Amino acid sequence: MSKESKKITITDPFQAWAHKWGRIGTLIALIYMIALPFVVLAVYGCIPSFGEVINLGTISILMIYIPVGISEAISYTPILGSSSYLTFITGNIMNLKLPCAVNAMKLAKKEPNTPEGDAISSVAVAVSSIMTVVILALAALLTAWISPIFELPSVKTASNYLIPALFGSLTLGLFGSTNTGKKVVKNGVMGVLPVIIIVSIIALLARIGSGSSLFGMIGFLILFMLPIAIISSRIMWKKGIIKVVDRDADSAEK
Amino acid sequence: MVSMKDIISSPLLLIFVIVGLLYIVGFSLVYLKKAYARCLELGISKEDLKTVIKSSLVFSIVPSLSIVVGLFALISVLGTVWSWWRLSVIGSLSYESLISSAVASAIGFATNAEMLDQATGRQFGVVMILMSIGMLSGFFILLPFGKKLSMSVNKTEGTNNWKYVLSGTFMLCLFAVYVPVLLIGDTVQAAVMLTGLVIAVVLGIFARKPGLKWLNDFIMAFSMIGGMISSIFWCSLFL
Repeated sequence: MSKESKKITITDPFQAWAHKWGRIGTLIALIYMIALPFVVLAVYGCIPSFGEVINLGTISILMIYIPVGISEAISYTPILGSSSYLTFITGNIMNLKLPCAVNAMKLAKKEPNTPEGDAISSVAVAVSSIMTVVILALAALLTAWISPIFELPSVKTASNYLIPALFGSLTLGLFGSTNTGKKVVKNGVMGVLPVIIIVSIIALLARIGSGSSLFGMIGFLILFMLPIAIISSRIMWKKGIIKVVDRDADSAEK
Repeated sequence: MVSMKDIISSPLLLIFVIVGLLYIVGFSLVYLKKAYARCLELGISKEDLKTVIKSSLVFSIVPSLSIVVGLFALISVLGTVWSWWRLSVIGSLSYESLISSAVASAIGFATNAEMLDQATGRQFGVVMILMSIGMLSGFFILLPFGKKLSMSVNKTEGTNNWKYVLSGTFMLCLFAVYVPVLLIGDTVQAAVMLTGLVIAVVLGIFARKPGLKWLNDFIMAFSMIGGMISSIFWCSLFL
């Protein structure tokens, strides 16, 4: 295949803008974020040596960060589309930005990975990012006054359960967002059945064996399960178990 | 000798953080303007956009407040300015909190309090650099391959049917991993998740009534808040 035919052509102007200027804006932010500690430390004359930063003690910390970052980029980018750049630079993806984007697409009745879905989720992610920056700025400014409230045991407990609560509320949003648009994917959930079975068995073994949860390893699990989900969905689509039908035909059938 | 305390209370660090946050807000505003204009061009009504913006604002409040809880936990380890910066950009509440519990031992201190009290500027420099370079791995994928990753599942007129299946698979896979882990791994997590789901279903039924249609815009936000509040009851019951 020639190099020319592999080139991705984007026809939607917003998607084209995001993949050019969104990417450049992200790169600038990224350079700033990396330069920030070095500049501050240089002014104070205390830049650590390479050996102090990278050693056996600190490698364990990097080993937490690196797979999570890779897993998030591979699994969330295809869902978030053009809004990925802003989402990744502002962080807090799974506990805030991704559900916010899903909620927005559901409300506007738009599908992910369409020009409409990308534009509407970008609106939601931008609004959400600004909101978070403002709330955190207020919190940092008013630390002395408000910290007692946020240190109450009940508030801390409720905060620890944000992700399970989100998944409870997201489940309806998931089905809402996949059932809009001109085409309907029937039995799509069958494609991830092997993943559900494998993860359930591992989770059960971990619970029975050591009484622990796999919650802290979710980044790794997604990274390993994604290829299984894609391959199994592909096989089931080829075999006709998963079908893509026109919405009108599906409604008539019902 | 410069100490960790000198760096975390440094006006220079504060200025850099404020400038960085202003850039992030500016970047978000440009994204918002471009996306909003494109939505209008694509035929999405101003009313629908208003609903999405209102709902996104309400939806963001509770997770942001949870991040504030994390902020106060992080402040006791890393000081106000650096914690504020980390949680406003790239960082994720769960991983920043995890890292904050591990950094003290990684640079040779027994406790966080000991680190805050005795660490030198150089030692805190190690923490700052580690936290800054750690999350870069995602960008090594996003920046060169982001376009390819998102356009590979992009659906337009005449798109191959497989793209429709593939596009849904990523979200379904997230659920296929998270849901069994939450339901099987921890009783309170399972109870909280199911509570959130039940509240969402009940609110969905209420929202069908003519006078309560506005509820539709806030089902996710309210069921999430309800689920989180229920954790206090479930913890007292199971723990």
